[in-house]
Amino acid sequence: MIQVIQILILGIALGGVYALMSSGMTLIFGVMRIVNLAHSAFIVLAAYLAFFVFKTFNIDPIVSMAFTMPVMFLVGVIYYRLLFASRADNPRFADITVLVTFATALVIEGILAFIFTGIYRSTTPTYAKTSINFGPFFIPQSQLYALIISIVLIVGLWMFMRYTRIGNAIRATMQNRNAAQVVGVNVTWISTLSFGIGLAMAGAAGSLLSFVFTFYPAKHIAWIGMIMCLVVLGGMGSLVGALVSSFLLATAAAYVNFYFGAAWSPITFYLSLFLILLFRPQGLFGKKVEG
Amino acid sequence: MAEELIQVDLKGKEGAIRVRSKVSLWLKRGIPLLILAILALLPVFQIVEGTLNYWIHMLMYVFLYVIMSSSWNIIGGFAGYVSLGHNVFFALGAYFAGMLFLATRISPFISAPVAGLLAMGFGLLFGLIALRTRGSTFIISTIALVLLMAELFDNWKLTGGTNGLALPLIDLPGQFAKIPYYYYLLVVMVLCVVASYFIKHSKFGLALRAISQDETKAEVAGIPTRKYKILAFGLSGLFIGVAGAVWGSYLTYLRPSIFLTVSLGTSIVLNTILGGKGTIAGPVVGTAIMIAVNEFVVAKLGATELNIVVTGLILIFVLLFFPEGIVGSLKARNKLPSFLDWD
Repeated sequence: MIQVIQILILGIALGGVYALMSSGMTLIFGVMRIVNLAHSAFIVLAAYLAFFVFKTFNIDPIVSMAFTMPVMFLVGVIYYRLLFASRADNPRFADITVLVTFATALVIEGILAFIFTGIYRSTTPTYAKTSINFGPFFIPQSQLYALIISIVLIVGLWMFMRYTRIGNAIRATMQNRNAAQVVGVNVTWISTLSFGIGLAMAGAAGSLLSFVFTFYPAKHIAWIGMIMCLVVLGGMGSLVGALVSSFLLATAAAYVNFYFGAAWSPITFYLSLFLILLFRPQGLFGKKVEG
Repeated sequence: MAEELIQVDLKGKEGAIRVRSKVSLWLKRGIPLLILAILALLPVFQIVEGTLNYWIHMLMYVFLYVIMSSSWNIIGGFAGYVSLGHNVFFALGAYFAGMLFLATRISPFISAPVAGLLAMGFGLLFGLIALRTRGSTFIISTIALVLLMAELFDNWKLTGGTNGLALPLIDLPGQFAKIPYYYYLLVVMVLCVVASYFIKHSKFGLALRAISQDETKAEVAGIPTRKYKILAFGLSGLFIGVAGAVWGSYLTYLRPSIFLTVSLGTSIVLNTILGGKGTIAGPVVGTAIMIAVNEFVVAKLGATELNIVVTGLILIFVLLFFPEGIVGSLKARNKLPSFLDWD
């Protein structure tokens, strides 16, 4: 019994980071209908940024989020402006963006591999190796911090979307792009901003991952598979869906990991993706949309 | 007198046009056939001289990727359903033929067509599930398929896990060892390209193109879109499965890290889009160019990391500025050389 609860704790701890990873992707899809396959590559990029700052200036990855998040925000704004802004009306937009973002992921992977080589990296602040015990249970300190920060950021994003004018404009654009434009929302500006926010979330996720997991340039492929499963399961574009499916699948994967072996836990993700496609293609919280 | 002159002049012009159109027809048919003849005769030089091993290998690479891209074109180009997971068929064909050989000693050359049918059957099954979705969700499901298969084959004892399976070398002196594979792939490639021509110009192909234009309208017009999409997806696996069986036996080892990577699935798409998706010549042209560029980059820069960067940059550039690809863009501008107009 103790073991079952312990696995639940570890699953939930990881779920927070997963939710942060998928929140940016689901936001970007919701607003612009872009399936950002480069999302995990941007996360890895941010992890390398945190790693670089940690190695050269010895700045804690949590502190350096104040640097990685704005940088990734800017990267997002420039990337969207440069490649997608003028093509939002193209009927083949969905197909093109999927392939363009995947190609971007390849470019990022190649450049990172060229600069940092393929060696497994991670940042090692003092809390990375210690655990907190309470009674018979334990939680790695790094995962606890990551969980707390993830939840703070996601709640912050949710409140921003809910209670600010700009947040309302973003949600209006998600619901109906044309109608939002008619009532005076500058959808191009909103899209650019959303892409920036999405990548800022990726930046935060990268900073946190840098001390929770080890990473290498090609790691983004495994992560994008996982994030896609989370986003599709939750319903593309649904922030709440991404949150729920993250905790759901993280705990499920933790149990599979314990009872069947580590190799089978990624399969939990992919199988759940196919099951949801089979029975509810729009996802748990998604609305039926074309594309 | 003057009228006669004009008439003669006209006759001359007409004649010239007729001669020119005859010449261009000869060029249109002749150049591809000539290239094919050279390809068919190349191994003879290898047998006599024995110095063409590198070229034979590179050409086999081209044949393999043309088979994959041309097949992908059936669902991705004609019907407009972009799949990033077509290398799964390739892996299935290779593993099926390889495992059959290890168990029963039936040569992959014989079992390859069966491997193709198996891959097709798998495509129909997968299509049944995944083609309930469209657009981006469909693309995601195809990537997830590759990742799922890679995980399965990595951990399955029967397929040898990450170490994979080792197959014996073909029982021929090194100088000739590549030649049976070369001819097998060449024939499959020609069959595949010809098949894609006939599919495009059939009623079925017309329906697929209608689906890619506007699926709802196609459905309203009475096209059984779901059935056709699934059939197209299955068909696109057929030749890839055959090629996988042959290629696995040629490599002599089967490993998930060779057959089941996302980047392999993507390069199939890249080659087709670069050449021009939905056209018959596009996959051939795109593949030949991409393999040449890759070889050049590897030879000049050596680093595989930069190879990925170049691949990615080319893909972004083509997608954003020439989404119709080389053949498609040239055709739209009426500048396509006739020998590349295979439609």
